[in-house]
Amino acid sequence: MSHSSTTNGVTTASSSNIQDTPSSSADTQRVQRRKRRRRRESSVTTPPPSKQQKINFPLSSNNHHQHNNHHKTSITTEEVHDMDSRASPNRSVSAPVESNHKISLHGHATRGGGGVANGMKKSGTPKKIVIKNLKARADVQPMEYCKEAWSKLKKAIEAIHSSQPICYSLEELYLAVENSCSHGLAPELYGNLKTECQEHMSVHLPEFNQDNVDEGSYMIIIDRVWVSFCRQMIMIRSIFLYLDRTFAVPHQTLPAIWEMALEQFGDVVSQPKIRDRILRGILAAIHRERCGESADRTLLKSLLRMFVDLQLYQGVFELEFLKETEKLYYNESLRMMRDSEFTLPDYLSHIDKRLSQENDRLIQYLHKTTKKPLILCVEKQLVGEHLQEILDKGFESLLEANRYHELILLYQFFGRFKDGIPLLHIAFGGYIKKSGIAIVSDQERDKQMVQELLELKDKVEKIIQESFQNENKFHQVVRDSFENVINRRQNKPAELVAKYVDTQLRSGNKEWSDEELDRLLDRVMVLFRYIHGKDVFEAFYKKDLAKRLLLGKSASFDAEKSMLLKLKQECGPNFTSKLEGMFKDIELSREMMSSFKQHISTTKRVSGSIDLSVNVLTMGYWPTYTPMEVLLPPEMGFYLDVFKDFYVRKHSGRKLQWQHSLANCVLRVSFDQADKELQVSLFQGLVLLLYNDTDQLTYSYISQATGIIEEELKRTLQSLALNKVSRILLKQPKSFEVNDTDVFTFNRSFKHKLFRIKINQIQMKETQSENIATSERVFQDRQYQVKALVHASDLKKRIESLIERDYIRRNEENTGIYEYIA
Amino acid sequence: MADGQSLEEPPKVKKAKGKTPTGPLFTLKKWNAVAMWSWDVECDTCAICRVQVMDACLRCQSDKKQEECIVVWGECNHSFHNCCMQLWIKQNNRCPLCQQEWTVQRFGS
Repeated sequence: MSHSSTTNGVTTASSSNIQDTPSSSADTQRVQRRKRRRRRESSVTTPPPSKQQKINFPLSSNNHHQHNNHHKTSITTEEVHDMDSRASPNRSVSAPVESNHKISLHGHATRGGGGVANGMKKSGTPKKIVIKNLKARADVQPMEYCKEAWSKLKKAIEAIHSSQPICYSLEELYLAVENSCSHGLAPELYGNLKTECQEHMSVHLPEFNQDNVDEGSYMIIIDRVWVSFCRQMIMIRSIFLYLDRTFAVPHQTLPAIWEMALEQFGDVVSQPKIRDRILRGILAAIHRERCGESADRTLLKSLLRMFVDLQLYQGVFELEFLKETEKLYYNESLRMMRDSEFTLPDYLSHIDKRLSQENDRLIQYLHKTTKKPLILCVEKQLVGEHLQEILDKGFESLLEANRYHELILLYQFFGRFKDGIPLLHIAFGGYIKKSGIAIVSDQERDKQMVQELLELKDKVEKIIQESFQNENKFHQVVRDSFENVINRRQNKPAELVAKYVDTQLRSGNKEWSDEELDRLLDRVMVLFRYIHGKDVFEAFYKKDLAKRLLLGKSASFDAEKSMLLKLKQECGPNFTSKLEGMFKDIELSREMMSSFKQHISTTKRVSGSIDLSVNVLTMGYWPTYTPMEVLLPPEMGFYLDVFKDFYVRKHSGRKLQWQHSLANCVLRVSFDQADKELQVSLFQGLVLLLYNDTDQLTYSYISQATGIIEEELKRTLQSLALNKVSRILLKQPKSFEVNDTDVFTFNRSFKHKLFRIKINQIQMKETQSENIATSERVFQDRQYQVKALVHASDLKKRIESLIERDYIRRNEENTGIYEYIA
Repeated sequence: MADGQSLEEPPKVKKAKGKTPTGPLFTLKKWNAVAMWSWDVECDTCAICRVQVMDACLRCQSDKKQEECIVVWGECNHSFHNCCMQLWIKQNNRCPLCQQEWTVQRFGS
């Protein structure tokens, strides 16, 4: 006693082993826990909560066992000893001598600063010194001693219960317990202790049964009772530690001291009236907190830990709590779903907020076992029950507005449910189809179709990347949806994709660098991939490629080749072999022209005033053009004949067909103001050359002199006479339509700021007829395959026709087999 | 062509800087002509393989030898894919169309 001061009934030891939580008596609890686990596998015991209380107890020395969950069964006599020795750091070893017949001195006497072991150990000691001379004093009556001991202990318990100072040293009390046990009086001691505690509980009963206080105060009262109960019981248990460890814990049926006390406390709290009152209080407080009011979280935490300790948490609290939660969020979600003022982004951030609130609640005062069911319940009520409704509420506008953040939330929430992501896939695909079909089916938007489709694709792919974790399945949805969209309308998308590529590859398009262009082409190729009618694409692509090659309008030869390679990779070499042939024709023609020039310079058969170059195209590689005969001036006609001779001599067995409609030329013109060069089609050139003779010609004369067919000639004259900036001829009368009697006069006073002027052909809805022709050609090529695919009878006809033409024959033994005849 | 000829006469006169109304107004500087070539054949289709002679025969198409698939003319002026004919004459050295003895007149090139 001399080294201890008593404060508020709690002994403050001079030892430095100070801990401020009840769990400090770690090993005691460990024992207790071990025992409990033995009885109920699943029950969880946590040390009672500590708030203001500060309990310093010398026995609690093992700081490092604070987190004792990890080694519940690791208690050793060594530890006990160590602890005991520190419990009386400065005390003389002689203190307990009188009451012992034998004194066991522990071998650790020299350990630590004066830490001499008191001889309390009976086993596990490496050395044992027996003082034989003390036999004579052994006649102290054990029963008497024990009575005395109990009266001391009882006083101490009463003092603790009434928060009074204890008038004995803890050491003394501890020894009293130990000695009583040594005399086989443990059962009595245990019984006495239990009765004492029970009696004390009944003192508290009125506090539990106060009817005249409100919920809040009631909860505070209960909490206070609980906290002091815990504090007191820890103290008592510490005094009775020896009893606990040697008797209660090893005992098969009796609960450990702490547990025994908890049972007594629990008996009171479990009374339905009391229990429900506390439960209502807690639930009401949580409800208020959910509605935005503040709550005393420390109080809630303390009471919920009480519930946990009393085995009332899961069975009583959690059940009710989850029910309440479900009800609240069910109503909340229903209200918000119906409220059109409440947008989907609002709702999503609301869910997010609710989830983080509940998680906070879990950290702050709920028990961790509640986490899973609580979060599941919230998610189910707010999300799972409304998956489709949520999507209908504004998923498309989220996509439309690229709300990446909200889409991330949506993806996360939906990911929690089995049906969630598949529904998201469907809705995502639905959006792409809807937007895509709007682009594809609107004829007004044909011009921007490809550009808009590419933009749509980039947009949705960015969303997948930003918000849907780049999930593969979403990319699959994009592919499927685009394929669906682009084939909704027959042929036109294929045509427009081909045209789009043409625009990009044509010279004058300085929008892109080579790499950018290549990337752009890659993107277009993706669209191309979705197109079923690849033949339509090919036909239009070929037509445009022909123009680029023949008019020298290709922006970059490399880009052309790279595009060709892409097509080849996509569709195989058969698809591109003819396109490649076109390139080859251009190259061969170039070589041919240089040898032709050599040829004419040696033979000198023609004057060198005209620079002729000829592109010789392989029939079949190129689109089919209708040859148009014209009347050429003799010099020109002669020149072509020279070339033809040269060519046919070089390539035996070939014949040449001139394609005048594809030819173009450069004319030097002397206007009044200045000389100019005009870049014109051959037809335009032939018309203009007629004006070397006279300034005025009639339509019928021009027609006769050039031999150009009516439709072409009219178009040609319109291009020369009706274009404001390049009006070389003046038409009389000034109407758009060209009639036989119209007169065209050379415009001598023509002015233009440039030296070389290109006179555009009038694109007489160029495509309209050309376009129809191209499409028709595709259908003709297709018809055999298409018909065969659609009708079995046609298939038979096709087979018959193949047999007739000796491509295949029937197998003589099995008529179901056809053999190919090489 | 007769009209054209008469009209072409003036350009042959010396060019007079275009300032005088009688001078040659237009001179052809450059001419990019286009021609399409095809085999000079009577029948577009090879009677042996029934593929157009402008295309390679099926054998060469599948062997990716389109470039090498040339046309051959016999003295009878009938024409076929050369490779088709090579196979044909192993069995029967007559033109499949006119049954004349097969003699090569020329090869396409």
